[in-house]
Amino acid sequence: MRSKSVRLENITKVFKDPQSGQNVPAVEDVSFEIAPGELVTLLGPSGCGKTTVLRMLSGFEPPTSGRILIGEQDVTNIPPNKRDTAMVFQSYGLFPHMNVFDNVAYGLKLRKVPRPAVQEKVMRFLEMVGLSALAKRPPSRLSGGQQQRVALVRSLIVEPSVLLLDEPLSNLDALLREQMRVEIRRLQRSLSITAMYVTHDRIEAMSLSDRIIVMKAGKIVQIGTPSEIYRDPVDTFVAGFVGKVAFFPCTVASVAEFCRVEVRGQNFDVPKWSEGLKARDEALVMCRPESLSLGNPGEGIEDGVVTANVYLGNSVESWVKSDQGDVLAQIDNPDMKKIWKEGEPVSLTFQPELAKVLKKS
Amino acid sequence: MFTKRRVVRFAFAAALIALVEAWIFSNVRAEFRSIVNSSQMRSVAVTAESFSALAPAEISSWLERLNRQGASYRLAWIDGIPEEGQALPATGDADLVRLYRDSVRDPEFLKGFDNVAYEERYRGAKIWSLGDVPYSLIFAPAPESPKAEPPRGEGVLLFAFDLAEQRSFERLLVVLLGAAFCVAVLVLWQVQFSRDPIVGFAVTGLFLMSLVFVAYPLFESARLSFVQEGKLTFQIWKTILTSRGYQAALKGSIRLGFWTATFSTLTGFLFAFVCSRTNARFRSFIAVMGTLPVISPPFSLTLSVILLFGNNGLITRWLGVTNFSIYGLRGLVLAQTMGMFPVAFLTLSGVLDAIDSTFEDAALDLSAGRWKTFTSVTLPLAFPGLLSAWLLVFTNSLADFANPLILSGDFRVLSLESYLEVTGMNRLGHGAALSLLLLMPTLSAFLAQRFWVGRRSYVTVTGKPSGRVTELTTPAVRFALLSLISLVVVFLLALYGTIVAGCFVKNWGIDYSFSLANIGEALTRGRDALFDTVTLAAAATPLAGVVAMIAALVIVRKKFHGKRLLEMLIMTPFALPGTLVGISYILAFNKPPLILVGTAAIIVINYAVRELPVGVEGGVASLRQIDPSIEEAATDLGADSATVFRTIVLPLVRPAFLSSLSYTFVRSMTAVSAVIFLISARWYHLTVLIYNFSENLRFGLASVLSTALIVIVFGVFGLMRLLIRKNENLAKSVGA
Repeated sequence: MRSKSVRLENITKVFKDPQSGQNVPAVEDVSFEIAPGELVTLLGPSGCGKTTVLRMLSGFEPPTSGRILIGEQDVTNIPPNKRDTAMVFQSYGLFPHMNVFDNVAYGLKLRKVPRPAVQEKVMRFLEMVGLSALAKRPPSRLSGGQQQRVALVRSLIVEPSVLLLDEPLSNLDALLREQMRVEIRRLQRSLSITAMYVTHDRIEAMSLSDRIIVMKAGKIVQIGTPSEIYRDPVDTFVAGFVGKVAFFPCTVASVAEFCRVEVRGQNFDVPKWSEGLKARDEALVMCRPESLSLGNPGEGIEDGVVTANVYLGNSVESWVKSDQGDVLAQIDNPDMKKIWKEGEPVSLTFQPELAKVLKKS
Repeated sequence: MFTKRRVVRFAFAAALIALVEAWIFSNVRAEFRSIVNSSQMRSVAVTAESFSALAPAEISSWLERLNRQGASYRLAWIDGIPEEGQALPATGDADLVRLYRDSVRDPEFLKGFDNVAYEERYRGAKIWSLGDVPYSLIFAPAPESPKAEPPRGEGVLLFAFDLAEQRSFERLLVVLLGAAFCVAVLVLWQVQFSRDPIVGFAVTGLFLMSLVFVAYPLFESARLSFVQEGKLTFQIWKTILTSRGYQAALKGSIRLGFWTATFSTLTGFLFAFVCSRTNARFRSFIAVMGTLPVISPPFSLTLSVILLFGNNGLITRWLGVTNFSIYGLRGLVLAQTMGMFPVAFLTLSGVLDAIDSTFEDAALDLSAGRWKTFTSVTLPLAFPGLLSAWLLVFTNSLADFANPLILSGDFRVLSLESYLEVTGMNRLGHGAALSLLLLMPTLSAFLAQRFWVGRRSYVTVTGKPSGRVTELTTPAVRFALLSLISLVVVFLLALYGTIVAGCFVKNWGIDYSFSLANIGEALTRGRDALFDTVTLAAAATPLAGVVAMIAALVIVRKKFHGKRLLEMLIMTPFALPGTLVGISYILAFNKPPLILVGTAAIIVINYAVRELPVGVEGGVASLRQIDPSIEEAATDLGADSATVFRTIVLPLVRPAFLSSLSYTFVRSMTAVSAVIFLISARWYHLTVLIYNFSENLRFGLASVLSTALIVIVFGVFGLMRLLIRKNENLAKSVGA
């Protein structure tokens, strides 16, 4: 398939509130690029404008200002039916009056593909997702996961330059979601198709994407690979949004090769820090659960009491109530380590190599 | 969207169209003027010819005769050719002579006389006004006649030709070309600047349609009620609001509406209560009987009321009553109640079904008695529904025209009065004003129902139907209710039976022997009308159905300026009495630029426009239940708006589409109030023929045609129910 790059340049979208008549900005000055064959996820809380970006990319909403390019072509003013994009909808949007075959064949018929070729291609694509036996079924007699697959195949069969997915897994149960995640990634990879994925589920975003774009209130906050976003978030919002996290107040001692911070009288050298931090700034140390460990009270950077232990086999999640709120510490290989009982006083320590110093926000 | 290139292209194309239209305009105008000129010159020549044969004594009477006969011109004769502002004696049209006296020194006149002196005709370039009407002048030589006694020298014949016709032709030309220009520019605009030109065209088309066929006729009838003999005046309204006759008609309409609405609401509530709040048997039969009259043709129930209770009616004769007349308020209330209680029944059964019966259970549980429960829970909850049903029937009764037409006797109602003004006395302005007057109570009841009562509804939507309905009636009460219902049902069946019986009886009221003669005669005489009626209804049906679905799609799914206005315009005809629509249409479409009176088109358009609102409402309701992403998915796969409409929307709203089709067909088959104004010798309507037969006391023929109409209508309705039922699986999956 011809996969193409996608570029958004300074896209802004302003909606008019029908009640008050006031202009409400939904997306403000968003620019990014997707390389051919790349899968990029738009991640953000609901109402942050990520679906609006997707709908502008597909052509359903015209941007108020800015340009959208697919490959080298400026598509800003091209209507959705003439755009080389295909969208998988949150509610699938299957045609209820057509059976599975006709649903998948719809796009091909519109492109005036000859009948035998349609027949062959539809069956081949249905085979790909294991649905060829259900070709004659109406969508209402399919399970959620099957409907999802039909929707996916219906979009893929027209060989779009860009595949757009709008929270496609939000209507599925947890187990099915995991299966479909793998399936989507497999199909996208094997067809090497450029894809944009919208979700508010961080695990989906982490597990699927080549890169993640984190949005908040209509603006892009950070663009990066899943590990960049996880380990090197730009601020406390991103840090909190993409995973469990604890923040400990600290004072910056010096900034050189490392950022040296002082937490409760102890000094640590942290390899990552927010730009612009300088000595004597009040800041926060960001720690992920897997970088935290428990010890005797008074030894670590923060004291607290264990309130719950969740045994997960390969790890135990210990919840510690402290002055910084409920902190989660993840202890790997729990059967070889000491597990502090519920109600026991403990202290928290962290591994500076996995932490980051963030500005207070 | 507004790139420089597109703007330039748009401006260029618009300028080109304007140029072409200007060229057409100047050509057509020049051609028309030259035709007018040559025909006027011809009549000038003929007149001059006949003038030369006149004896001097005959001249003044000849002039007088010509001017009085109302030739296409006014004429004056000047004895001699004036030179340099000489005032010579002149005779002929008084205004023209005065004009000559006043402007002898005018260069135009001097030039004219100069030409005449050289034996040439001269058409003046200036436009003169005689009594506020524009005229153009022609100066022609009046031949001398030396042989006359005394001999007469050369003179001038001064012709004044009326310019009004030419002006109105040119105005029409400007209107037509202007409209063409506007449409062309709108289309261009869509093509150049719209992301979705097809939707743009649909919106433009809907706007044009509703402006031309809803707003324009209404505006015309409102305007004409203020115009008499070409002048703006309040005379018509003054007459209508002060004359006793019209006041009586207004009062009559309201009295009739009040009683019909009251009786219909009571009957409707009785039916609805038994159907949704008791476990009585035959409830589905009762529901069918309570719905049937909605689709029965006009006149059919009225006809059988006359057959039974008329002066020669079966029951009147049987009882031997002589001092009783069914014609008037009593008969009307009876006929209308039988025809309109289904409206109340349908409204109220909807309301009662939607009120959760657990409220009643709770009341019973708190040890209120059944009667107490009914009066303190059921009735108050249903009150907005009752009011709403009452108002709906009230509106229907006021707008009703068919029943009063043959049953009113001396009783006067507005809808009938406006019809008589138009057809009997040819006073269109009065008719328009009367039907506008009728609009006031109708519209206020309609609006009250829509916006005031509609919002106060206590309909409780829990989503969970509570299983069994608690029996609220004791067996005795139920027996009483059922007896009352049986009475109504038996009466209704008797009415239908009477019509059918009427077909087979030689001469109702006089000779009850069996005969098939009526059937033969009626079908022969009614064949053309039957054919016309079916043809017109069949033409209007797909039109209204498709337009309704397009309008619904545009209203629900698309964003554009003026959406509320469009919605209002489309929905307006629903609240308009048929007589008003009919009168407005003949007022608006019997003159340029749109002359449609007498054609099939005006009837078809009238059907389509009047039945559109119901179709649109159905389409809107059904589209609102369909996930928009289904249509978006189709668009995304490459379908343009028209394809989405054809392959996705239309199949999905099929139930609404089918019922809109059947509704339009049935209503068009049974139309009378508006169509009676619009029929012509070429295009006739069966209901009007039924009316004519019953006016002439040929009840047998009327019965046959009514039966035929009932059979067709019920057949179509049954067919449609069957088609919709097949679709039920689909409806479920769409919702999910």
